Amino acid sequence: MAAPLAPGSARWVCSARWVCSARWACSAAAERPWRLFGAMCLLRLPRITQPLEKEEEEVAALMEQLELEKSHYSDHEIRKLEEEEQLRRKKESLYDEDEARGQTVIMAQDLEEKWEQKFLRFKAAPRITDADKSNDRKSLNRKLDSNLMLLVKQKIGNQELWLLPQVEWQPGETLRSTAERAMATFLGDHIQAKVLGNAPYGIYKYKFPRAIRTENNVGAKVFFFKAYLQSSDLSQAELKADYLWVTKKELGDYLKSEYLKKVNRFLLDL
Amino acid sequence: MKKKLKKLEKAAPELIPIEDFITPLKYSESSRMRSLPALSPQESERRVLLLKKWCLFKQKQDEAEKKAIKGLVESQQEALRELRLESEELYQAAVRRDEGLFPFQRDGPTYTPPLPGYDPPEGKCIDITKVYTQ
Repeated sequence: MAAPLAPGSARWVCSARWVCSARWACSAAAERPWRLFGAMCLLRLPRITQPLEKEEEEVAALMEQLELEKSHYSDHEIRKLEEEEQLRRKKESLYDEDEARGQTVIMAQDLEEKWEQKFLRFKAAPRITDADKSNDRKSLNRKLDSNLMLLVKQKIGNQELWLLPQVEWQPGETLRSTAERAMATFLGDHIQAKVLGNAPYGIYKYKFPRAIRTENNVGAKVFFFKAYLQSSDLSQAELKADYLWVTKKELGDYLKSEYLKKVNRFLLDL
Repeated sequence: MKKKLKKLEKAAPELIPIEDFITPLKYSESSRMRSLPALSPQESERRVLLLKKWCLFKQKQDEAEKKAIKGLVESQQEALRELRLESEELYQAAVRRDEGLFPFQRDGPTYTPPLPGYDPPEGKCIDITKVYTQ
C-alpha cells in the first residue's frame, strides 16, 4: 500500500504488494527495477558489565550468605581464631612468658589490615567516563556498558539524512563486499572489523518519489550487514562526513520511523 | 626380562587422580565446622520468597531473549527472500558459509574499564601442578 506523496517532498515508503507484481513483471535478471545498496551496522561491543538489577543483587547476596553458611573454616581463619584466643588469655592472665617466646610478630589481623590498605590505595578507572558526562556523541568512550553503532549523514536524492553507512552495489561484487566498501569509505581502510557472516541481517525497501520514478528505476533495497569493531583506537580513521556513535535507544533521535523499525529488528537490546 | 615387560603391559593402566575431586582429609576435621546461629523462621521465609521471585525474573528474561532471537532470525529470512527475488547469484553468495568467522575469540567485559598507563606489579609465576604420565 503506497502512501500518497505530497508534491515536491521526498518521503520514503515501503510497499509489500509491489514485490509480487515486480516478480511477475521482471523475472529476468537484466531488468531490475530496484537499485541495491549495502549498508554496514558497525557495533562497538560493551567494555564493562551492565549494572545488576534489584532482584539480581538480592539473590547474589543470598548466594554469598549460603556459601558462607555451608563452608568450613579456612587456614587463615583458624589462625585468626587461635591468635584472638591467645590475646584473650594474655589479657586475663599475666604469666605468659613461655608462650610468647614461640610466637610470630605478624598476626593474621595485621595481614588483613595491610591487604585492606593496599586495596584502598588502588584507584580503578571510572565506569562513567568524561564523554558520558558531556554527552559527546562522537566519542567511542561513551556508554561503556552498551553497544554503540555508527551513524553517518548521507545525501540521498536532495536530502541530508542520518543513516547507517551505505553505498550502492556495483555488479561483480557480493553484497558483503559492498558493505565493507561502505565501511571503508566512511572510516578509511585501516579499521579492523569482524563481519558476521555473508548473509544480510535486515532489509529496508523504499520506492523513489513519483518525480524520479521511471520504468527501470522504481526504488531501492538497502541490505544491512553487522560487524563488530575490533580495534578500540580509531585515531587513524579519516572520517569524511558527519558521524555519530549512538546506542539503540538513541537511534530514535536520528532515524526515520520506517527505517528505524527495520533496523531495530536485527539489533539485540543491550 | 621380556616376561616382566609383558606382565607390566598386560596390567591395566592406573587412573590419573583428579586433584580437585579429592578433598584433603584435614578439611573434614570437626574443629573446622562453623558455629552459626540457627535460621529464624522469618529469614527462611524471606529466602524462599526471594527464590520464587528470582524464578519468575529469570523466566521473563529467558522469554525476552528467545523473542529477540526469533525476531533476528525472521529479519534475516526476510532479507534473504528479498535478495533471492533480486538475483540468484547474490543469494548464493550470501548463503555460502563464511570460513573466516569461526573460531571467534573476544575478551568479555570487565567491571571497570582498563586504566590507561597502568603498570602491573612485577612477579614470576611458578607452575606447581603435578603432571602424571600413564
